[in-house]
Amino acid sequence: MTDNRVEEKVAVQSEESRSQSRRAFLKGSAAVAGGVLFTKAASADYDPKKAVAPYAGEKEITEPLQDGPWRKRLGFGVRRYPYGVPSPYEKDVQRRTLEWLTPDSMASITMTPIQSLHGIITPNGLHFERFHGGAADIDPKTHRLVIHGLVERPLIFTVDDLKRFPSISRIHFIECPANGAMEWKGVQLNSVQWTHGMMSCVEYTGVRLSDLLKEAGIKLDKARWIIPEGADASGMSRSIPLEIAMDDCFVAYAQNGEALRREQGYPIRLVVPGCEANMWVKYLRRIKVTDVPLQHREETSKYTELMPDGTAQRFSWYMEPNSVITYPSPDYRMQGPGKYYVRGLAWSGRGKVAHVDVSFDGGKNWHEAHFTSPVLDKAWTRFEIEWDWDGSEAFLMSRVTDETGYVQPPMPQMRAVEGTNNVYHRTAMVTWRVHAWDSKNGGLIENVQY
Amino acid sequence: MFSTKKSLIAAAVVASMAAGSALAMSSNDKGGDTAAAAGKIEGKWAANYREIIKENGGKYLDREVMEKILGSDVNSLRAKLDPNNPYSFEVDDSIDGGPHGNAQCKVPKAFVEVWDSAEKNEKADYIANKFGKPIAESALKIWEINVDGDGNGWPNVSEEEAVTVEKGGNIYVQFCGMCHGEFGEGAKGYLPLAVDEDLVTSDFRDPAPMKTIGNYWPYATTIFDYSRRAMPFWSPNSPAIGDKGYLGITAYLIQANGIPLDDEDTTLDDSDKATAQVIMAANKYMKNQGNFFCDHRPVTHNKRCMKDCPDYLVGDGAGNIHHYRQARRLPDGTPQYNVNQRLHEAPPGVGHAGF
Ligand code: HEC
Repeated sequence: MTDNRVEEKVAVQSEESRSQSRRAFLKGSAAVAGGVLFTKAASADYDPKKAVAPYAGEKEITEPLQDGPWRKRLGFGVRRYPYGVPSPYEKDVQRRTLEWLTPDSMASITMTPIQSLHGIITPNGLHFERFHGGAADIDPKTHRLVIHGLVERPLIFTVDDLKRFPSISRIHFIECPANGAMEWKGVQLNSVQWTHGMMSCVEYTGVRLSDLLKEAGIKLDKARWIIPEGADASGMSRSIPLEIAMDDCFVAYAQNGEALRREQGYPIRLVVPGCEANMWVKYLRRIKVTDVPLQHREETSKYTELMPDGTAQRFSWYMEPNSVITYPSPDYRMQGPGKYYVRGLAWSGRGKVAHVDVSFDGGKNWHEAHFTSPVLDKAWTRFEIEWDWDGSEAFLMSRVTDETGYVQPPMPQMRAVEGTNNVYHRTAMVTWRVHAWDSKNGGLIENVQY
Repeated sequence: MFSTKKSLIAAAVVASMAAGSALAMSSNDKGGDTAAAAGKIEGKWAANYREIIKENGGKYLDREVMEKILGSDVNSLRAKLDPNNPYSFEVDDSIDGGPHGNAQCKVPKAFVEVWDSAEKNEKADYIANKFGKPIAESALKIWEINVDGDGNGWPNVSEEEAVTVEKGGNIYVQFCGMCHGEFGEGAKGYLPLAVDEDLVTSDFRDPAPMKTIGNYWPYATTIFDYSRRAMPFWSPNSPAIGDKGYLGITAYLIQANGIPLDDEDTTLDDSDKATAQVIMAANKYMKNQGNFFCDHRPVTHNKRCMKDCPDYLVGDGAGNIHHYRQARRLPDGTPQYNVNQRLHEAPPGVGHAGF
């Protein structure tokens, strides 16, 4: 006897009985939510016949398989690529930009194709780029870092000097606060790359900032801010409060095991875990310890948030918890009713991700997903949940709760408080509408906004 | 001194939050994220908030934990503007611009308690590794380009050496106008620097207002600091302009934005000298400076609802999941995908199925 739930599943996947089986389901023990069906894995012991039951009735392939050309000749030899590159078949997996966003490629942004990434690490070549004065091409031998201001002993370091310090390696997400900015006023774009690609997650290696500040004898009784500055054309600066600087910041020289890329601040950058990427000053050349903030353009004109009543929030640091379903997402198309493993990313600027829940009915009911990656502090966390799609219209959303107890809000709620002129920190949920299988655009996945 | 409107802002934002919530939330909301109590100030926060947070596993942004500490003020921005509130980002001296005028914000006490690592890192003894080399502040003469909101860091340019505002305007036209417009109106898609748009829009779909020096920037010092640091775009901190020239440009932009220098609304004349003093005068009268307040996110404090969630959390915020907006459509009615995507091939799960 096969488990009758499995039988039902077989039925739901055979074309001719889709509607009947749906009724069977509704009567049966499976949970039904918004036309979405969930079955629990059978608890009985493994039975090979039962395991393959879903294939019953499927047409078998009988055509003999042919060898591919690569079976008939040798492949390329070692060192053809002293620095390896992806297969040419992966050529579509690229950083992309929207030309209309900025008038100039030296003050612009590219987005990471997160719909094509797996796990929690972004390859260095796909790390998003955000430039304010182009990517500098710095000779590390001539690069220096100075620590001065409210310190006992202003000091200067070479990059090699920094590598002599005790090192730490941490995996952290880095997110531009404008991630999702184009979606404040409604839906613009049908790709996760556009809605969430202004972020990446890599492993950084470097020196604790608290060590460097103490090496120079930081005067903790007077110091309240540090002002890091870049050596590039933008001379990027932000004011970082001492509580954050002394917490878990570090000066990184490596990213995913190799030197930083120029796009990410080679030879050294500041890492400010959980905070706006704009604070992670690249090409770091100077840290001034002060008792007052700088009021740099990037913390006054930009990276402040206009509220609906005309007031503005300033000194925004933390990136709020956020999540997105990367598969299925608008970059894909459903392949018919049946089983899908819905996956995505969740992250929080305030610590670890605690729960991710997924809704298939626009937020009415939620189902807890499980994690398929390590759950790390201020890092991407990969979630997954099983979904039996019955072919009816569905509205997919993911919602993160982090270890602080904060629950990601839906868009109408965030809009009610923050308005739509905010530009930054649009961290409410997004919704993917899955078109009903038997509709005109059956299986299409569309970015819609409530 | 600083014309702060902070208490007004607080009231206004509270009102707008309540109104916004009414829009977004249905009336049958119980125990969810309601701003109904937002106007109320209890003024008494649980003094033992540290213990409360600890007892609850460090969940300092959990709705119930926050209610234990703040009572019904969980959502109240007005409450968060009180620096004594453990959830406030405000620093006392920023309330009135402070003794030095340069607004400060801090990490809320409730946030800091759970990561004691900063405190540990501060307290732990440290003996230098001697990996660096001592350097004199004077060796940073060229690198040290910060001019902060208090006016620390002005270059030495005397009244006699200073250029006139008119000369500053000429320099601006020569080095900046081609991108930002002769009068700061913007050009070729580059940012305008003097557009006096209203910062409030009537419909939430309207284009976001342009935020420029006159209508948005809180400090005049930023004009100088940023222009010298990063402009002209292709040749920042240009010796061809020099400190005198950057002061001149800054004064010109203050004039172009109509920023007053005193209570009598005096503005800069073409013949006035572009000195640091003039810019510090304008620094106190930036039109929008009183409208900034410290980031008070998160702005929502929901409970984690799993089943039959209340309408305000569902779909359009009124429980309707079919009431949504879409991206632009193609003429045949299909959704527009902005890049060439492999819509009709490559099933998900086969290959990378990007686009
Ligand atoms: C080649 C075009 C170009 C020229 C010439 C130029 N700028 Fe800019 N300016 C830019 C770009 C691009 C940005 C934005 C940079 C970014 O996003 O990081 C900018 C930003 C600014 C801003 C900040 C605007 C805001 O709202 O935040 C100011 C102020 C500014 N420029 C002043 C100047 C001054 C003063 C000069 C002349 C000395 C100048 N610019 C010359 C391209 C230019």
